[in-house]
Amino acid sequence: MAAILHIRDLTKQFGGLTAVDAVSFGVPEGGIVGLIGPNGAGKTTIFNLITGVYRPTSGSIEFGDRSIVGLEPFRIADMGITRTFQNIRLFKNLSVFDNVLTACHLNANYSFADAILRLPRFRAQEKGLMAKAENLLGIMGLLGYKDLIANNLPYGLQRRLEIVRALALNPTLLLLDEPAAGMNPDETEQLMRLIVRIRDDFKLSVLVIEHHMDLIMGVCEHIIVLNFGEKIAEGSADEVSKNPQVIEAYLGTSGEAANA
Amino acid sequence: MVQFLQQLINGLSIGSVYALMAVGYSLVYSIMNFSNFAHGGVIMLGAYFGFFSLTLLKLPFAAAFLLASVGTFVVAIIVERIAYKPLRERRAPFLYFIISAMGASILLENLVIATIGPTFRTYPEVFPKAPIELGPLAVGRLDLIIFVISAVSLTLLILFIDKTKLGKAIQAASYNVKACALMGVNTDRVILTVFGLGGFLAGIAGVFFGMKYTVYPQIGNITTKSFIAAVFGGLGSLPGAVLGSVLLGIIETFVAGYLSSQFRDLIAFVILIAVLVLRPTGIMGKVTEDKA
Amino acid sequence: MDWTYIQGILMLAGINMIAVLGLSLLTGFTGLFSFGHAGFMAIGAYVGAWISASPASTPAGLGLPFILAIVGGGAAAGAVSYFIGRISLNLKGDYFCIATLGFGEAIRLIFNNVNRFGGARGWPGVPSKSTFLAILIADIVAVLFLANLVKSRHGRNMIAVREEELAAQIAGINVFKYKMISLIISAVYAGVAGVFFAHYMTFIQPKMFSLTKSTELTIIVIFGGLGSISGSVLGALVLTALPEVLRAFEIWRLVFYGAAVILIMVSRPKGLMGGMELTPSGIRKVAAERKALREAKAKLLAETPGGEGD
Repeated sequence: MAAILHIRDLTKQFGGLTAVDAVSFGVPEGGIVGLIGPNGAGKTTIFNLITGVYRPTSGSIEFGDRSIVGLEPFRIADMGITRTFQNIRLFKNLSVFDNVLTACHLNANYSFADAILRLPRFRAQEKGLMAKAENLLGIMGLLGYKDLIANNLPYGLQRRLEIVRALALNPTLLLLDEPAAGMNPDETEQLMRLIVRIRDDFKLSVLVIEHHMDLIMGVCEHIIVLNFGEKIAEGSADEVSKNPQVIEAYLGTSGEAANA
Repeated sequence: MVQFLQQLINGLSIGSVYALMAVGYSLVYSIMNFSNFAHGGVIMLGAYFGFFSLTLLKLPFAAAFLLASVGTFVVAIIVERIAYKPLRERRAPFLYFIISAMGASILLENLVIATIGPTFRTYPEVFPKAPIELGPLAVGRLDLIIFVISAVSLTLLILFIDKTKLGKAIQAASYNVKACALMGVNTDRVILTVFGLGGFLAGIAGVFFGMKYTVYPQIGNITTKSFIAAVFGGLGSLPGAVLGSVLLGIIETFVAGYLSSQFRDLIAFVILIAVLVLRPTGIMGKVTEDKA
Repeated sequence: MDWTYIQGILMLAGINMIAVLGLSLLTGFTGLFSFGHAGFMAIGAYVGAWISASPASTPAGLGLPFILAIVGGGAAAGAVSYFIGRISLNLKGDYFCIATLGFGEAIRLIFNNVNRFGGARGWPGVPSKSTFLAILIADIVAVLFLANLVKSRHGRNMIAVREEELAAQIAGINVFKYKMISLIISAVYAGVAGVFFAHYMTFIQPKMFSLTKSTELTIIVIFGGLGSISGSVLGALVLTALPEVLRAFEIWRLVFYGAAVILIMVSRPKGLMGGMELTPSGIRKVAAERKALREAKAKLLAETPGGEGD
C-alpha cells in the first residue's frame, strides 16, 4: 500500500529543547494509524509540524509525492490534510451549521465581486455549500442540532462537530488529536466505530493521537510509539503492547501494558 | 563637541521624564498584558494636582510634590477598580481592557476640560531658572533635579521589585497570574500595588512635565511617546522602559537639533514602526508563544 | 427644531456611519481592533479636497468633479492601508492595535507639518458638495456592499478569523489575505467618509482626525455590537445624533462618551445588538438559536435520570 504521508528524520527544536527527534514513519493510504506516547512525547508537535503551524528544524514531510515543509497551514489544508485539536477549537459562538458551512468554503470559488453583486455564480455555488453542510451534518447525526450555538453542544458532540468540520474540507488525510479525551467507555466505542466508518465512507486515511488504549488497540492497524520526542517502537497493536521499551515508557518497569 | 554633549544632556532630561511615564505602562503590561492607555490621563492629573497644590494650597514644593503623587496613586487605583477589575473578573479578552482604558482616558481628559477648563497653566517658578554652568555646558537646575529624582525613584522601584516579598510576587504574577493565585499569592493585592506604584510614578512624572513645560488637559497625548518608549524598550520590562525612554529622549533631541524640530514628534513613530517590524518585543522584552 | 437642523445631524451621522461600517468589517467581523482609522479618514479628506478644490483657492486643488474626489480619496486610503497592513498584520493582537495607533497619529502629524495642504492651520475653502441625498446613497451602497459580503463564504471566513484564528488556518482559510482585504475595505470606507466629511464641513484640520476620533469610531462599533451591521448603523445614528441634540452640554459630550465606554465594556460588551441583525433573517436566526438551546436542554434533562448526563 502506498504511503500517503511520509515523515523522514523529522526534528523540531525550541531553543534548547528538542521536542521531536529524528522521527520517521509513514501513513499508508486508507490506513488508520495511531500515534501514542506519554504526555510531552511530541505527538501534538508532530501534528503541528505536519499542518504547517511549526516549521521543522530539519527533516522532511511528504504528502503524496510533494514536500509540504514550509507551506502555509491553509495551503496544506487545501491539499487535503485537516485536523482536530486537543483542546477543542470550534467557532464557539457560531451555530453548529455555520461551523460546518464556513469550513465548506473550499468547495466554492466565487469571487468577492460575485458575492457582493449577488451574481448567478454566487447563488448557485452558495446553494451547493448549504446543501453540502446539511448533508454532512445529516450523515454524522448532528442535523438536529444545526441551529444550536456550538458552545452549547454537549462535550462529546462538540468533538464530533470538530470532526465534521474537518470533513467539510474533503481531506484525504485526517489528523485527530485526542478525539476521545473526556469520553466514557460508551462514547469511546461510538467514536471508534465512527472513525472506521469515516475512513470507509469518505475514503481517507487517519492518523490519531490518543491516550485511550482501547480505542488505539481496537481501531488502529498500525501504531507508532513516541517517548521524549523519539520513536521507540512501531508495529501492530499486538507487537507494540508487548514491546518492553513501550511498557517501560508508560509504566516504569512493571509488567503489564497500560490500559488507560 | 560641546553642542553634542549639550544635546545629550537635554536628551537625558526629557528621557528621564519619559522613563517615569514609561515604567508605569510597562508595570501594568507585565502583569495584565494590556496597554493601560488611561495612564496618560493619570499623569495629566498629576500635573494639575501639583499645580493646584502649589498655587491654591500654597504648599511648599516637597509637600505639593508628595500630595500630587499620592493623588495620582489614588486615582490610578480608582480607575483600576472601576474600569478593569470587573473585566478581570469576567476574564474578558485583553482588547476590552484597552477599550475601557481609552474610555477612561477620554473621560479624564474631558472631565478636566469641562470642569477646570482648557487653558494652559504655567507652574510658578520653584527653582531658579538660571542654569548650572559646567564649563561650557549648561544644565538646567530643574533638569538636574528631574534626572536625580527619576533615577532615585526608578532605582527604588527596581530594588522593591527585586528584593521585597511583594516585589517578587509581582515578578511571579508577570509570568502567570493564575499560577500565582494558586500558589497562595493575593493577586488582587499585587495588581493594586502595581497600579498604585504606576500611579505614584505618574504623579511625579506629571509634576515634572508640568514644571518643565506647561499644564493642559491634553498632556495625556504626549504620553503616547512614553508608551512608544516602553514598546521600544520592551513592554513588560522595567529596565527596558527606562532604556527605551532614555534612548528615545536622546534620539529625539538629536533629530530636532541636527535635522529639524518638525520631525521631532515623527521620529517617535518611525521608531515605533521600526520596532514593530523588526523586533516587536523591543530591546528587552519577553517573548511568549501560544501552545497550538 | 427645523428640518435643516435635523438634516445636518443626520448628515453628520451618515458620514460617520460610512466609516463605522468599514470599521465594523475590520473589528466586528474580522476581530481586529484599530485605533488609527481617523488617519484613513484624514487621507480621504485631504486627497478628496485636493482633487475637488478650485485651483484658485489656497491651498490649491485640481478642481475636478466630486465623484472623482470620492473615488480618489477612497483609493488613496486603501492604498496606504495596504502598506500598513503588510507591515503590521503579522503582529499579535495588541501589537497590531499599537501599530494602528502609531500610524494614525503619524498620519495626523504628517498632515500637520505639510504646508502644501495647509499644515496645522488647516484647509479652508473645500467646496460644499456633500448633499443629504449623496450621503444617503453612499450609506445605502455601503450597507448593501457590506451585507452581501458578510453573507458569503468570504464574510464567513473573516468571521472565522475573528472566532478562532488557528482553527481558521487549519480550515484552509488564508488568514493574512482576509485580514488584509478586511483592512483595505475598512480603510476605503473611512477614506470615503473623510471625503464626505471634508465636503460637508468645507474646512479640514489635522486635529479633527485625532486619536480621540479613531477611538470614537471603534467605540461606536462596539456600542452597536460587534458583528452586527444594523448595530453599527444604529450606533452611528445614536452616538452622533444624541450629543448634537444635547448641544448645550457640548463640553460634557466626551465626558459622557468616556464614561459610557467604560460602562459598556464593564456591563454589556456585546453592545446594543449583541451580534444580532435587525432584519427578518437575523431575527429568525436568533429565534432558531434559542429554540435549539431549549430543545437541547430538554433533551439533556430527559436523558439524565438513570443515564450518563453530560
